[in-house]
Amino acid sequence: MVLSGWEAVFFWVFAIAAIFAGLLTVMARNAVHSALFLISSLLAVAALFVLLGAEFIAGVQILVYVGGVMVLFLFVIMLVNVGAEERGGQVLNKPRQVTVSMVFCLLLVLGLLFAINVGYKGLQTRDEKAIASAQALRQGQQQDLHRGATRTSRITTDTERVGNSLYRFASLPFEIASVLLLVAIIGSVMLARTLKQEAAVDDLAPDVVAAEAARDPELAETPPIS
Amino acid sequence: MLHSVKNPDLSKFLVIGALLFVIGVAGVLTRRNIIVIFMSIELILNAANLNFIAFSRYLQDTGNVNAVAGQVFTVFVIVVAAAEAAIGLGIVIALYRNKETIWIDEIDLLKW
Repeated sequence: MVLSGWEAVFFWVFAIAAIFAGLLTVMARNAVHSALFLISSLLAVAALFVLLGAEFIAGVQILVYVGGVMVLFLFVIMLVNVGAEERGGQVLNKPRQVTVSMVFCLLLVLGLLFAINVGYKGLQTRDEKAIASAQALRQGQQQDLHRGATRTSRITTDTERVGNSLYRFASLPFEIASVLLLVAIIGSVMLARTLKQEAAVDDLAPDVVAAEAARDPELAETPPIS
Repeated sequence: MLHSVKNPDLSKFLVIGALLFVIGVAGVLTRRNIIVIFMSIELILNAANLNFIAFSRYLQDTGNVNAVAGQVFTVFVIVVAAAEAAIGLGIVIALYRNKETIWIDEIDLLKW
């Protein structure tokens, strides 16, 4: 897998964008800025997915992460702390903790780079022949693909293959994932209820209700729904 | 050297993934704001996704044309990340109602 020409240019643009946006996510004082930088980082990584020929995953990344998860994050930031750091809160942990974790991260990145370097060399010597022989095959297959309506490019079957293996070989995990999402939705609704809402559906122990009603008279007047 | 910069291969994608991962780890370890820590976790998961996709493409290029297991697994990672974000942010909201704080060093109920 070697990118060349404009693909290489776009690779470096998006790779550097992803790294810098990731760094700014971690370093920004304001949590809202962090969220916006994380969105840019996710978009740059989605562009890298396109360069790798995973158009479907890039679309899912933008729709689910940027469109769904990050909007949820922004909502919660607005609910919980708008500019708590700017009102004088410390951004980082205690200095000693920060130093130790920076040293740890430095060791981690050095180890990872070393492992990638050595491992990739081994991978190259192992797969040299297979890549060379597969390249001709791949080019032949690309000639067989249908042309798009504009006749300038060809329509790949990558997404078709992903869909096929998602529903043929991973259909059980797919169903489990849908159950997981359902449980997550119900769980977060249960977690985020206020005491008043819990009292309204009669979901509190009577002594808790009595104790809270002594503090907050409004709670005692909440009629149970049922 | 110049040739490998002009023609980025699998190892460059792995390096980008590793850097994003370490940035996420640094965020988790150093930040005090629990929401920023959540966002750093998303960054870590995204770095893992990048590795999955890069290796999936590499396997396709070694002749195994139908190797899309990496892409399929990435879909599941994204699903689990979405579920994790929903639950985690629900917990953050419940915590904020009870303790009025989002600083992790003040959330020490389980510490002894």
